[in-house]
Formats: sequence, C-alpha cells, structure tokens
Amino acid sequence: MLVRLQGISMWLSMAALTGATVLYAYFFLSKKTLHSRYATALTGAGFVLLTASIGMYSSAAQGTRLVGPYTLVLAAWALVFVYFVVEHLVKLKVYGTVLVPVALALLVLAQILLPAAAGLKPTVEEVRLLDSWRVIVHVVLIVFANAGFAIGAAASGTYLALEAQLKRHRTTTLFKRLPSLAQTDLVARRAVGWAYPAYSAGLLLGVLRAVETDVTGWWQDPRVMLAGLVWAIFGAYLYLHYGREASGRTSAYVALAGLVFVVALAIVARTVPAGFHIFGIAG
Amino acid sequence: MHLTLVGLSHKTAPIEIREKLTFPAHRQADALSDLICGVQVSEAVILSTCNRTEIYAVTTGAQDGVDAVIDFACGHHGLDRAQLEPYLYVSQGDAVVRNLFRVVASLDSKVVGEAQILGQVKEAYDHSFANGAAGRVFNKLFRQSFEVGKRVRSETAIGEAAVSISYAAVELARKVFDTLAGRTILVLGAGKMSELTAKHLVSQGVHSVLVANRTYERAVELAERFEGEAIRYDDLFTRMRDADIVISSTGATHYVVHRADVAGVMRKRSGRPLFLIDIAVPRDIEPAVNELRDVFLYDIDDLSGVVESNLEDRQREARQAQVIIDEEFRAFEAWLESMEVVPTIAAIRAKAESLRTEELDRALKRLDGLSEKDRATVEALSQAIVSKMLHGPTARLKSAAAEKDGYQYVDTARRLWGLDADGERAKRAHGLRGLLRLPEKPRKDETGEGLGS
Repeated sequence: MLVRLQGISMWLSMAALTGATVLYAYFFLSKKTLHSRYATALTGAGFVLLTASIGMYSSAAQGTRLVGPYTLVLAAWALVFVYFVVEHLVKLKVYGTVLVPVALALLVLAQILLPAAAGLKPTVEEVRLLDSWRVIVHVVLIVFANAGFAIGAAASGTYLALEAQLKRHRTTTLFKRLPSLAQTDLVARRAVGWAYPAYSAGLLLGVLRAVETDVTGWWQDPRVMLAGLVWAIFGAYLYLHYGREASGRTSAYVALAGLVFVVALAIVARTVPAGFHIFGIAG
Repeated sequence: MHLTLVGLSHKTAPIEIREKLTFPAHRQADALSDLICGVQVSEAVILSTCNRTEIYAVTTGAQDGVDAVIDFACGHHGLDRAQLEPYLYVSQGDAVVRNLFRVVASLDSKVVGEAQILGQVKEAYDHSFANGAAGRVFNKLFRQSFEVGKRVRSETAIGEAAVSISYAAVELARKVFDTLAGRTILVLGAGKMSELTAKHLVSQGVHSVLVANRTYERAVELAERFEGEAIRYDDLFTRMRDADIVISSTGATHYVVHRADVAGVMRKRSGRPLFLIDIAVPRDIEPAVNELRDVFLYDIDDLSGVVESNLEDRQREARQAQVIIDEEFRAFEAWLESMEVVPTIAAIRAKAESLRTEELDRALKRLDGLSEKDRATVEALSQAIVSKMLHGPTARLKSAAAEKDGYQYVDTARRLWGLDADGERAKRAHGLRGLLRLPEKPRKDETGEGLGS
C-alpha cells in the first residue's frame, strides 16, 4: 500500500513539475507575474509530493536508498529546495524557468533507470562500507552541494547570455527577460559560495570513511578523482572571484566548466563499474 | 440622450490650433458651468492636455448636441467655428466610449503607453464631479475608464520599456548594474544631451557625478547642477577608474577615448564592468572599446535601435490592451442597456402582467362556479385596469426619457418598480439603443477625420 502511494505521489509530483515547467516558460515569454505565481505554487506542490514520495519510500524500504538512480531523485528534491531558498533571497523567478525543468529531467531519468536498479542488492563489502552516519551525511552534503553548483552554473550561463547580448547590442526577448549582470553574478557567487563548503565537508567525510574502512587505493577511483577535480574547479572559481577579483565572464566560464565535471561525475558514477565507489551499478 | 465627443489632438491639429483650445484647471469650473447651463448638455467632462482637448458630453439631441458643444468651444475661446472645424473630430454613441477607453489606455497618445494620461483623465473627471457636471452616466463611464487604464498597465507591459534615448541609456545601465543606487557616473563634455541623460541617471539614485570638460569652468558649472565634482581633463582616465557609467557628448571631431586608454583603466578596476554611452556625433569613443572585457559601449544609433525595438514591443502590447478595452466596453454596454427606456417599459409591463395573472388566479379560485363568460369578463377587467394604469406613466416616461436628464426618469422608474433584480432579463431581451445609438446620419468624423475638408 505504502509503495503504491509512494508511486502515485511521485507521478503527481512529476505532473506538478511539468505544469510548473510550462508555466515558467510561459512566464518567461509573457512576463506576466500571475503565471510565475502559479508556477511557484505548482513547484511547491511538486516539492511537497516529492518529499512525501521519498518519505514513503524510505518507510517502506526501512531507510533511504542513497545509491544509484535514487540519488537522482534526491538531487531533484535538493535542486527544488535550493531553488526555493535562492528565489526567497533574491526574488528572481526567472531561474525557475531553467531549474525546474532540470529537476523534472532528473526525476524522469531516475524513473527510466529505477527498474534496472530495483533488483540490485548491495554486496557484503558495500554494506560494510555504507553502514555509517558518515556515508549518510556525505551523500546529503554532496547532493545539496551539486544543487548549489547547478544553480551557480545556471546563473553563470545566464550571465554569459546577457553579456553576449549587451556586447552585440541586441534587444531580443531573451535580453529583456534576463535579470541584470550584477544580479546573476551575485546569485552565482552565493550559490557556489554556499555549495563549496558543503562539498568540501562531504568529500572529507567520504575520504574519512574510505580510510577507516581501509579501502586500498581509494584515491585511484575515477569518481574520487573527478570529485577532486570538481572541488578544485569551484575552489578556483571562489579564488578568482574573491582573491583575484576576476571579471564576471571569467568566473562564469569556470562555473560552467565545474558543472560539466559534476555532470560527468554523475554519469561515471552510474555507468563505470570500476573502483570502490560503484554502489547501485548493475553488473 | 446621446453620448457626444468633440475634440482635437496632435493627430488632427497643429500646436498653433491646440494651444487656442485649452481648458486649464483654474478655468474648468467656468467652462463646465457654461457648457451644462443650456438645455442640450446634461453632463460634461473636459479633458485638456498638451496633446489633446476633448469635450465629452451627454446631450439631448444628436446633431443639436454636437452643435451645442462646438458652439461652446468656439464661444468660450472666441474662435471662429469655420476656422476650428477642420481640426475637430466628433464621435457619438459607442465610438465615444471606445475613444475614451483608448485614450485612458494610452493607445491614442503620442508615445503609446505613456503613463501620464490616466492621471490627466482622472483630473478632468474630478473637475467635472466637483462642479456638478458629472452625473450618473459619466460617473459610471469615467470610473470604468480608470479601470481600463489600470488593467492595461497591470495586465500588459505597454509602459515598461524605455522609448526615449536617455531612458534607454538608463534601462541598459540597469541591465548591467541592476540598481544605479550608489553608482558613479562620469560626464564627458558639458552638452545638453549628456546633461539630460545624467539627469535621468541621477533620478535613479546614482551616488556621485564626475564632470570632465576641455573648459574646466564649464565642467564646474555642470557639476554644480548635480552637486557633483568637476575634474581636470588631464585626470580623465585616472578618475574613470572610479566611474561605473561614462556619458560622452563632446564637440570633438575625432575620438577622444581610445581602446588603449580604456584598457588601461580596466586593468585597475578589479573586474568591475564599465558602461559607456557615446551620444556625440561624430562619436567620441573608439568603437573597438566595446571589444574589451567587461566594457559595454553604446552609441547613439545603438540607443535608437533599443528605442525602436521597445516601440515595436509597445505596439504588440497595444493589441493586448485592445482586448481589455473590448471587455470593458461590453461591461459598460450592458450597464447602459439596463438604463434604456424601452426595455424598462417592457420590464414594467411584464411585472404588472405577472402580478395581474397571479392575483386573477387567486381570485378565480375563490369565485368558484363562475361561467366561462364570467371568467372572461373578470380577466378582461383586470387587463383593462392594468393597461389603463400603465398607459399614462409609460407614455410620460417615454417622453421624459427623450429630454435632458431623461435617463434619470428611467432610473427612478426602475427603482420604484424594483426592476434591477430583473435587469438581466431585460438586457437579454432587448438590443442596445439610446446612449450608444448613432444619429440617423453620422458625420464623417466617426472615422476620426476632421469635420472640414
């Protein structure tokens, strides 16, 4: 019963986010605030339903799955949550036009991958590795940090789009709808600024867990190496921004590069069956 | 009773004519008093702005009403009617309502979407109301027009984008810096255009103004106007490091700001963007400056392009505004319909007939045993009483409705008979006439053309 309710809740959540995506797109084109209000309401409804779905699934499974496609569901949840926080702080509904569809895409992807992962049982070695509060906190921090990086990168992409329009003296609909350079730069900086410490702490906990479980050659794992690269890129972003006072354009390119590696890491983590960090991968 | 509009605007009359037919605020009371003292005009509102003068009136006759208003306009200003008529436009019936709604929505303004007109129409109505020249019809019409104005501004983006060069510069600066509060502008050259643009930027909260000019004394003069700081021309590029926005409008015949100069400035700015507005012709700033990172250069043509694009947007929004006008017109039309004499009389008769049959049925039940002939007699008696009782009042109502303030009789009759609850039925049963009715021979100005050739 609980599993059935969880499934219904998940599909209703996806339906609400689909509606929100359409309304945000319409808001972006028409600039009618009423549409953005409906879109935000639907996003909120989708978030509540998604939270309920995750909660019911965790109750049914006697614990939240933190591996495989389930992390995509958690990533979508975190993305919507962080979007709400950002939207509350800077009042920029236009980001919903980008971020809500991304959250929806993550949920759809999770639904596609879930059947393949459903029958997977962790090995004895995996159970030993995962059986720690450090792993739970590690996953939560990484998921939230990735959501922050995604928002920072979305803002950076917006920055570059607007900057290009300003340089070319274009006054397209895109130009008129996008928020100012100063505002997008601020959103990117804050999102990365909050995500980076979370990512660092998440990585640290992961490393501690690997060391304490005596995983040999843990640092050679491709996911660990990619995660180190992501950490270095966003570290460079913050250094360039605050240390060297680099231009918004340079910082924006660095943030986008960071997101490319976050996505690459997410794909590798779910597809490459090598190393010790392979939870939830078939085969 | 007819709705009548006589007016002229920037579309039909040059400034030399428009300035002769103005009704400033302090003369509105006298003008309105003159206008409604005759038998022809029962309500009036005079809208007088720099681009239009429009006299809205509720008149007794169609053509007579128009003549009365034109005679008033000419008489009040001592103008020759033949001289004025070629510039006038006249509308009647629903065209008056649509014209007012378009004016309030700013669709008829020189700059479509400008915000002032709504306040000006409100002011005109306030004068009329205060001087007893607005009655039931104009109270409803003008209040509904304010609703149109508000809806158009809140439901469309008709007034959002800048449509002047100086405001376009402000709009672009805000695209870079979001808010101009706390920013510093550097005015290069003490020309009128740079002063105007600087004025708009200062009104948006710019923190400090630096002024540089070849003649230092002129820089000091302009700086004083903005409570800013005059800087020596030799210090231009040193002080440019402090500026966020540069407005250039010198009289130089060659570039005075080169790529290398700005590149040097940018190296000392810690990544802060610099927005340059070159409104000089010939240009002051080398176009290659725009290639530098974090530098945005707009010249006069670029700003004109922004203005043109914004004007096109306003035209698109105007189509949306027209939909709102149509909706509000239908609402006003429905209200007017309920004020018509024919549907009112029909509603009175229907109500009387309903009462008659109800009471007849009750009486016939008590008079058991009547023959068919007797029943017919009683029914004929009730019909005759009702018919004769109503004949006089309805005939007089019809006649009174055609007089000045006649709609007030209709309104009173509706209230006395308690017809408002039944108003919807009357609306469905009868077509629109009366106030929105056009005269038998509409004048050619219905299309907005002048009366004269």
